[in-house]
Amino acid sequence: MTFLLQASLFAALAVSYQAGEMSLNDVVQKVNPKMVKIYGSGGFKGLPAYGTGVLVSANGYVLTVANHLMETTDLRVHLYDGTRLPAKLVAMEPELDIALLKIGTDKSKIDDLPFYDIVAAAKAPLATPGTSILAFSNQFQIASRDEPVSVMKGTIAAYAKLFGRIGIFEAPYSGNVYVVDAITNNPGAAGGIITNRMGNIIGIIGKELRNEQTNTWINYAVPINAELEIKLADGSAKKISITNLIEKKEAYKPVTKASKSTGGGGYLGIVYVPNVVDRTPPYIEYVEPGSPAQKAGLLPDDLIVYVDGVPVVSVNSLLELMQRYRPQERIQLEIRRGDKLQTISIQVESPPKALPNKGAETKGN
Amino acid sequence: MRTRIFWAMLAALLNINLCFAADLDPKLKQFESSRMDVIKKVAPAVVAVVTGGGSGVLISADGFALTNFHVVAGQSPALKCGLQDGILYDAVLVGLDKVGDVALIKLLPKEPNKPFPFAKLANSDKVQVGDFSIAMGNPFMLATDFSPTVTFGLVSGTHRYQYPEKGMFEYTDCIQIDTSINPGNSGGPLFNMNAELIGINGRGSFDKRSRINSGVGYAISINQIKNFMGHLRAGHFVDHASLGAVVASGFEESALGKVSVSGMIDSDASRRGIKIDDQLLYFAGRPMTSVNQFKNVLGLYPKGWRLPLTYKRELENGSSERKEVLVRLMGSEKMEIGNPNGAPPMPVEPKPMPMPLPKGQIPPKAPGPKLPTGPAAKLFEAKPGYANYYFNKLEKERLLNNFKKNGDFSSLLGNWQVQTTGKIGDKGRQAVVVLRILAKGAKDAKNDLVQGIFDGIDFSVEPLAVEQTGKVLKDPPGSGGLLVAFFQLRQLLAYGEKGFVGDFSHGGMEPYYTPSENTLKPNFAAQRIDAEVLRTNLAGVNTKWYFNPADSKLLGYEVSTDREDDPCEIHFSDYKKDSSGRELPGKILIKYGDKEYASLKVDGWKLE
Repeated sequence: MTFLLQASLFAALAVSYQAGEMSLNDVVQKVNPKMVKIYGSGGFKGLPAYGTGVLVSANGYVLTVANHLMETTDLRVHLYDGTRLPAKLVAMEPELDIALLKIGTDKSKIDDLPFYDIVAAAKAPLATPGTSILAFSNQFQIASRDEPVSVMKGTIAAYAKLFGRIGIFEAPYSGNVYVVDAITNNPGAAGGIITNRMGNIIGIIGKELRNEQTNTWINYAVPINAELEIKLADGSAKKISITNLIEKKEAYKPVTKASKSTGGGGYLGIVYVPNVVDRTPPYIEYVEPGSPAQKAGLLPDDLIVYVDGVPVVSVNSLLELMQRYRPQERIQLEIRRGDKLQTISIQVESPPKALPNKGAETKGN
Repeated sequence: MRTRIFWAMLAALLNINLCFAADLDPKLKQFESSRMDVIKKVAPAVVAVVTGGGSGVLISADGFALTNFHVVAGQSPALKCGLQDGILYDAVLVGLDKVGDVALIKLLPKEPNKPFPFAKLANSDKVQVGDFSIAMGNPFMLATDFSPTVTFGLVSGTHRYQYPEKGMFEYTDCIQIDTSINPGNSGGPLFNMNAELIGINGRGSFDKRSRINSGVGYAISINQIKNFMGHLRAGHFVDHASLGAVVASGFEESALGKVSVSGMIDSDASRRGIKIDDQLLYFAGRPMTSVNQFKNVLGLYPKGWRLPLTYKRELENGSSERKEVLVRLMGSEKMEIGNPNGAPPMPVEPKPMPMPLPKGQIPPKAPGPKLPTGPAAKLFEAKPGYANYYFNKLEKERLLNNFKKNGDFSSLLGNWQVQTTGKIGDKGRQAVVVLRILAKGAKDAKNDLVQGIFDGIDFSVEPLAVEQTGKVLKDPPGSGGLLVAFFQLRQLLAYGEKGFVGDFSHGGMEPYYTPSENTLKPNFAAQRIDAEVLRTNLAGVNTKWYFNPADSKLLGYEVSTDREDDPCEIHFSDYKKDSSGRELPGKILIKYGDKEYASLKVDGWKLE
C-alpha cells in the first residue's frame, strides 16, 4: 500500500511539472512580484531580523506570520522592484499565527501592486497530498531590494494536525497544516507562501517549529483556507479564519482564548516596577534576598528583554510567560543593563512557603 | 509470519511496477528518460577528488578539471582523483582562485594522450529561476568505486551574492539551488537539462542543521570561471578585482536602488574622472541597482581587466551628464608571496564543507602543504604568486611559438627605425615621425639609445641607463613614454625572453579594445577582443602585451613607467609582410590616459 502511494505520488509530481501549460520560469515570474521582504526587530538569539510576506491587495496590505519582527515601530518592506517602504501592523491573530501589515504612508498613495486575492483563492478546495508545490520565501535574507526571493520545489506530503513547538512553547496554531518535502523551515522563510504548479497560492509558510513528538524541524504551511473554532474565555465558541482577518483588516479583533495553564509557574524572586500602564516595561525594582534572581546576579534597574528567545514587552506578558515554566527548569534571560545586552541563566524554583508581598499585582513571581 | 509479509510485499511491489508502467503519462516517460540520458552523458566527466574529499568535473579531453579551492587547499599539489570508470588517476594542481573558491587541476591519463570524457560549458547567464538542475559528485564519499551521486532540483535564484568567509570564498553572481548539496559535493558540477555545465557547487546556507543540505546551495557560475580560465591555465594564484571606489546605495523611501560612489582612492577609476557622488548606471554591461549587484559584477573579473563603466553626474546648472569609460580594475588583496619552502602559498583554512569520515577510516588528507611526489611531480614548479609555475611556462612557450609564425626577428639585433606620417598632439597637426634605436649608441657605448624625431623636434632616451628620471622615460611629453615603448618592442621581437631581466610570464586572458574611429560614442562590446597576455618587466618598466588568439598577432601593448600614472598604450593594425615575410603593422595608434597622442601611418620599417 505504501509503495503504491509513493509510486503514484512520484508520478503525480513529475507529470504535473511537465504537463503544465506554463513553464516553471513563467510561474516564478508571475508569483515573485507579489512577494515582499520584511525587515523588523530581531537580529540576535537566533531570531532573524528579516522575514517574508505576500501582497493581498493592490493598495499594499501584506499577509505574513505573527512573529517577533512586528515588535518595532521601524518595520520596513522591500517590494519586488526594489522600492523600500515603511509598514505598520494593522491586525494579527495569534491563534492562526498570522499578521496583516499595511505598507506605505498616508502621503504616498499605492494602488497598483500585484497581489493575491486570498478570499477568492480560499474558495478552492484543499490541496491533496501528492500535489506538487513551489515555495517562495526570503530564507536566509538572500535577496534584498529588487532581488527576487528564493523558490524551491516540493510536494505536499500530508495534510495533518500540527504538533509543533518553539523552544519550550507549544505552537500557537494547532489546526491542520500542509506538511511539505521542500525544506521551508529556514530563518526568514516564515510568511512566505506555497503555491501549486500554476502559481496559485495555497498556504503560508509557518514559523520555525519542531515536531513535539520527534523533536525534528517541520516543513509546513498553514492553508490559506484555514478555519478554526476557538473556545473563548466565556465558554462560547468562535470561528476564525485568514479570510476573515483579511476582509476586516484594521477592524479585526483577535480572539481571547480560554486560558490554560501549561507549566504551573515558577519562582524567580523578582519585584517589577509598578505595573501602571498596559505595556509597562519589565524593569526590575527589587530582587528578593536568597532568591534565584539574586543567585543569578540580576540587579534592580535591569530590563528583561527576552525570555528563552521570546521577546517580552511588558510586565504583563512576562508574568503570563512565566506561568509556563515549572520549578527546576533553567531559562535564559536576555537583559539590558545600562546600554549593554547580556545573557543571564537562571533556574526557576518553587515559591518559598511564606511568599513575600504575596498577591500584590505590581510584584513579581 | 515474516516470510508471509515478505511475499505480500513482493507481490505488491510487482503489482505496482506493472500499474506504474501502464499508468505513466507519455510526457512523464519522456521527461524521465531524457533526464536519465543527461545523467548518462555527463557522469563519466564527474571527478571524485579523493585528496581533499571533494568533487570535480573534467572540462577538456586533455584532463583539465575544475574543483573548489577549499577542496585542494592544504593538500599536496599532487592529487588523486577517481572517475566513474573506477580508476584512480594521478592529478596535479594547475591554478587557484582563492576569493572565488575555484581550483583548476589536470588529470594524467593512464595511457599517453588518451582523451578524457569532459563536460561542455554552458552560457550560465541564460540560467533562469525555475530551471531544473542536476548536481553530481561524491557527497559523504559514498561511492568507493567513484560513481557519482546524482541529486535533482530547482534553480532557486540567480545572480546571488554571498559574503566572503574570512576574506575567502566570496560567491558573487552565483546560482542558488534547492538541489541537495552535502559535504563532499564541494567542487562538483551543476548541470542544466541540456547536459551542459552551468556551475561548480561549493557552498550552502546552513543554520540549525550543521553542514547538511538545508535546501539552499550555491554554485559558482561557469561564466565567472570562464573569465579566470586563462589565468588558471597559466598556473596563476589569481587575484580578484576592486574598482578603487567605494559604492553605496541610497536609503530614500520609495525610490529604486541607486548606486553611487561614496569613496575613492587613487586608481584608474579616479584617473578616468569618476568622482564621489557620481551615480553608477552600468558596469561591464550590467545595470547597477544595488550594492549586491555591483559586488556581483566586480567578483566576475580578475585584477587588471579593463571594463566599461557608465556613470551619471549631476551638474551645478541642474542638468546631468552621462559618460561611458573603460576602467582598469585594481587587485583585491596582497598575494601571499615569499613562502620559504618554495611550496605554493596555500593556506590551511577551515573548510566550508568539511568532509565527515565514517568511523575508523583514516583521513585521506595530507597534514599540510608539501612537495609532490609521483608522476605529478614532473608537472609542478613552485613559484611565489603561482599555484604551479610549470603551467605558466607551458602557456608562455605555446604563445611565443605561435607568435614566431608571424616572423622571426631574432637576428635583428642592430639599429631599428620606423618612419611614419600622421597626426600628433591635441590639435592633430600633420607631422613626420621617426622612431629609431641605435644599438650601443649611448654615451657609454654599451647601452642602446632611442631617438624620436617629431616634426623636427628631437627627443632621446637611454632606457637602460642606471640614472634615469621618470620624467625622461615618459618622453615625448603627452605620449606616456613612446620612446621607451618602442625600445620594449625591439626587446620582445629581437630578444624574446632574454630581452627582459625581470618578469616574463604568461598573464592569462584579458579583454583588449581595438581603437574606435568614433571616440565620442564608443561601442566597447564591439571593440573587445579577448586577448592572450604576456607580462614583462625590464629596468622598472612593466609591459603588458596583448596577442590575438586567432592569429597570434600582437594587437598592442601597454608600457607603464610609473605605477601611479596611466600607461602608454600602443595599438597596432593594418599588418603587412615585409620582404623577409615578417608581419609588421602599417598603422600605429598611441594613447595616453583618455587622449590620443598620435595616429601614425607607417612609411617604412628599417630593421638591422
